Amino acid sequence: MARSLLDQAARAHGGRVIAALAAKFRDLDLAEEAFAEACLAAAQAWGQNDAPRDPAAWLYSVAQRRALDMLRRRGVRTRLVPDPPQPPPSAEEAMVDDARLIPDERLRLIFVCCHPAVAPDARAALTLRLVCGLTTQEIARAFLVAEPTLAQRLVRAKRKIAEAGVAFEVPGPEAWPERIGAVLSTLEIAYAKAHEDAAGAGQHADYAKEMLDLTAVLAELLPDEPECLAFAALVRYAEARRPARLDDDGTMTPLSEQDPALWRRPLILEAERLLRAAAGRRRPGPRQLQAAIHAAWCARASLDEPAPWPTVLALYDALLTWRDDAVVRLNRAVAVAEVAGPAQALAEVDWLDSVAFRDFGPFHAVRADLLARLGRGVEALAAYDRALALDPAPAERLWLERRRGQAAAFP
Amino acid sequence: MQYALLIYEDEAAYRDENGRAWQEVIAQHQAFAAELVEKGLLRGGAGLKTTNTATTVRRAGGQCGLHDGPFAESKEQLGGFYLIEAADLDEALAWARKLPLAGDGSVEVRPVIDGTT
Repeated sequence: MARSLLDQAARAHGGRVIAALAAKFRDLDLAEEAFAEACLAAAQAWGQNDAPRDPAAWLYSVAQRRALDMLRRRGVRTRLVPDPPQPPPSAEEAMVDDARLIPDERLRLIFVCCHPAVAPDARAALTLRLVCGLTTQEIARAFLVAEPTLAQRLVRAKRKIAEAGVAFEVPGPEAWPERIGAVLSTLEIAYAKAHEDAAGAGQHADYAKEMLDLTAVLAELLPDEPECLAFAALVRYAEARRPARLDDDGTMTPLSEQDPALWRRPLILEAERLLRAAAGRRRPGPRQLQAAIHAAWCARASLDEPAPWPTVLALYDALLTWRDDAVVRLNRAVAVAEVAGPAQALAEVDWLDSVAFRDFGPFHAVRADLLARLGRGVEALAAYDRALALDPAPAERLWLERRRGQAAAFP
Repeated sequence: MQYALLIYEDEAAYRDENGRAWQEVIAQHQAFAAELVEKGLLRGGAGLKTTNTATTVRRAGGQCGLHDGPFAESKEQLGGFYLIEAADLDEALAWARKLPLAGDGSVEVRPVIDGTT
């Protein structure tokens, strides 16, 4: 029982404790190691049903002492004034509210992990490891890389941060456009990994929850940054629809066919509040438009109402002025098919760079659907086969197979 | 911490008819260095003559060979460096952004090995 309490505490507060330690000692490795040692100490000390009233505060104060011990052992002369030696806190020790005891340094830590000086492929992983407390194994699974590869990336990134002297500071406002951009694109990559898996079972369910927490922190700490608010809204809209993303057979349900009654209303309301706050800042941006596309869908009350395709298309047109990339154009083409017909949509899809999309499943899936609707059955089947050959997630595979079956029945 | 700001530029940017580009950039460098000195952050640095004056000693397998020219042929070449004091990487990067260049180019920011640890 003490064990699971410890796991819970480590999971719930690990990010804050590690962030506070990292900010204090300016050393990510030291912060991580000290926290791990504090957990080890807790596993022993909390054994006799005397878990502390405030586990996070307990872990923080023990970790802090361990960090100082480690610094002394390393023989590093430090300008930090060490606390006078104290016995470990007892369970009875009434802890002050941990919110006051542990300074919230997560934002600083996010900016460090997402610093442009850190290799792009390590930023998201480092953020998830340190701020969200995911294990290397969990992150490796989410990013589809071997665990040793990921571990090495993390080591390299931490070494770079330490040796290059990356500042443990929230950057000044003059650097925000670039730095917030780096943070948001890192989190977008991290979230895309969670969202890809429609089932959201196992690891991904936790991971998506971490993204909700992390974006909430970001929105709370940077309330005047509309793109941060919009990204927090976007994650909520997307998570709100998670219960409707699979049908009873475990097959993916496309957004336009999802039953709005299954969507989580509280998350949608939260998202709407965030997006309204973002719009109130009167500084439009690409993430606000993306969140607005989600909002258009989530405004649907039931399947009897028409799908908001014209609005979605107009929003994609606006998004193109911010982000004219092939993925946006591909998503836009889906809306074009509904508003202007599949022939025009196919013309736009075929105009995209098919070489860049050769191994991108959604490209072939969209083409297959458009070809099938235009009665070009043979080509549609080939495109479905191409999409299926690219190893889609199980729910998507079932959906593609179903669509392929329908196309084969009416060639 | 100390950082080296290594300046990589296309030397062709300086090859105009009356050497005006060169004079302008030198004046900008003097102002840049003066600002560092004023803040007490300049620890060293130098501008280098162009790579047509470079000779490279290359040691391989215990043998030394000499060749005319820079270590590597590339469009942008090391043209000079500053050694500065900065609290952290971000401060050093801010100086690197302000560093005068004749045209396009890169400034590589590298922490200097600290002799005390």
